[in-house]
Amino acid sequence: MHPLDLIIVLAYLGLITFVGLRLSGRVKSAHDFFLAGRTLTWGVIGLSIIGTNIGANSYVGAAGNAYSVGIAQANFEWIGAIPAMIFAALVFIPLYWKAGVYSIPEYLGLRYNQAVRVAAAIITSVVAVVTIAAALWALALTLQTYLGWPTWVGILVTGSIVGAYSIAGGLAAVAFTDMLQVCIMFVGGLVIVGLGLAETGGASGFASTLVGDNPNHLSAYLPADHETYPWPGVILGLGFVLSPAYWCAGQAILQRSLGARSQWDASAGMMFAAIAKTFVPLLIVFPGLLALVMYAEIEYPDQALAWVVKNVLPPGISGLMFIAIIAALQSSIDSQVNSTSLMVTRDVRYVLFKNPDPSKDLKVGRMLTLVLLLAAMAIAPMIAAMGGIFTFIQTVFSLFQGPMLALLVLGAFTRRVTPTAGLWTLLSGVVLAAAISLLGLNMLYVAFIGFVYAVVALWVISGFTEAREDMDYDKLTYVPWRKS
Amino acid sequence: MMELPVAWANYLSMGGFVLLGVLVWLIPRKLIFQGAPEASLWRDIRWWATVLIMVQLGLYAVFT
Repeated sequence: MHPLDLIIVLAYLGLITFVGLRLSGRVKSAHDFFLAGRTLTWGVIGLSIIGTNIGANSYVGAAGNAYSVGIAQANFEWIGAIPAMIFAALVFIPLYWKAGVYSIPEYLGLRYNQAVRVAAAIITSVVAVVTIAAALWALALTLQTYLGWPTWVGILVTGSIVGAYSIAGGLAAVAFTDMLQVCIMFVGGLVIVGLGLAETGGASGFASTLVGDNPNHLSAYLPADHETYPWPGVILGLGFVLSPAYWCAGQAILQRSLGARSQWDASAGMMFAAIAKTFVPLLIVFPGLLALVMYAEIEYPDQALAWVVKNVLPPGISGLMFIAIIAALQSSIDSQVNSTSLMVTRDVRYVLFKNPDPSKDLKVGRMLTLVLLLAAMAIAPMIAAMGGIFTFIQTVFSLFQGPMLALLVLGAFTRRVTPTAGLWTLLSGVVLAAAISLLGLNMLYVAFIGFVYAVVALWVISGFTEAREDMDYDKLTYVPWRKS
Repeated sequence: MMELPVAWANYLSMGGFVLLGVLVWLIPRKLIFQGAPEASLWRDIRWWATVLIMVQLGLYAVFT
C-alpha cells in the first residue's frame, strides 16, 4: 500500500473514533443510548439509514453480480427498495411514532401479544449476531488484503473501534459516524465513476462497449426463466415481500427513525434515504460493469471491485476507496450491534424476566452491546468454515420475512386480526415456507407464497379467535381518513 | 409464466410507480406535517416522493 493511502486510512480510523467518543457525553439514560434522546435530524437519519443498508454484500457482492448479470442488479436499489421506503416514510414510521415504541417487536407485542414480540426479537437477534460476525470477517479479510494484517488483528482492531464508540455513544454516535461513512462512500464511488468513464470514452463509449459484448447488461430485468433473478420473482418476491419486510420492519434500519427529534424528521429522513438510494448503484453496481468494459482479467466476478480499485484509481484515491469499503462494513456492524442490544434489553428481558428494573436499561444495554460484539468477534473466524450454517440462518430469516410482513400489514391496517392468529400464523408460515423451499423453488417465489399464505391464514384464524379487549386500536392501527 | 416477455416487467414496474404516486397524494396533508416546525412547501414530503417516483419511471423507461 502507498504511504499516502496508509495515512488516509489511519486518519479515517482516528476521525471515526474521535467523533464517536465525543458524542458519549450526551448519553445519560437508556433513552439517550437507544434512541439518541430523540434528537436526530432528517439529514443524519437519511444518511445513517443508507450507511446501515450498504454492507459487505453490497460493495463486493453487488459489483460481482453486476459483472455477471448487468444493471439488473440495481433492482435491489430501485424496485426492491424505493416503493417500500416510501411506504415506510408515509405509513409505518408515523404508525410507530403514534404507538410510542422503542422497537418493531415492541409494536408487534402491543398489537398481538408478548409471545409474538419475543419470537420476533429472538429470531432477529440471532440472525444479527451471525451477520455482524460475517461483516467482521469480511472486514478482516479486506484489511489482510490491503494492509497485510493477520485476520485476528483485523477483527480485534475493528471490533475495538466499533465497540468503543457504540458502547460509549449509543445510537447518536452510531448515526453520526454512519453519516460520515456514507459521505466517504459517495466520494469514493463518484471518483470511480468519473475516472472510469474518462478511461472508457465517456458515457456513450462505456454503454456501447458494454452492450456490444453483453447485449442484456443494460436491461433492468432478466428473462422469466433466469435461474437467480427471474423478473416475476423479482417483482413478486423482492418488490412485494422481502423489500417491504426489510424497510418497514427492520429494527436496525428503523431505529434511527424512532430516534428522530420529530415525526416529520423521521419520515423525511427515510424519504431522503430513498433519494440517496436511487444513486447507490453508481457506487456498487458501476464498478462491476466497469471491470467488464475494461476487460478485467479476473477469475471470479467478486474480484471485480478489487480489480477496479487496483487498476483505475491513483494512490491516495485508492486509499479513499479502501476506507469506503471499511466504512460500509463498520456502519452496518455498529447499527446491528446497537439495535440487537435494544431488542435483547427490552423485548426479550422485559418479557422473560419478571419485574426488570427500567433504571438499569442503560447499564444492561451497554453490557449487552459488549457481549454481542465479543460473541460476533469470537464467531467471526469460524464464518468461512460454517458457510452452511450461515446460509441456513440467513435462509430461516428469509422464511420468516413473509409471515412477519403479513402480521405487520394486517395488524396496521385492520382491526380484525387477533393475538392467537398472529402467533399461529407466524409459526405455521415459517414451517410452510421451509417446506416449499425444500422443493427447490427460487427463494423469491418462496417469500411471496409464504406472505400470501400468512395473509390468508391470519384473516381466517382471526375469524375463529378472540381479539384482545384492552387493545387501543386508535393508537396501533393506521387509518388516515378517520374523523377525529 | 416462464414465457412472459421481459418488457412486461418494465411496464408493470412503471404502472406500479404511477399507482404509488396516486396513493401518496391520498394521504391527508395534516398527517404529512405532524411534528414539522411549519407547513411549508418544501416540507411536504409527498413532493419528495413524487420527484423520486418520476426518477424511477425514467430509469425503468431507459433500461428496457
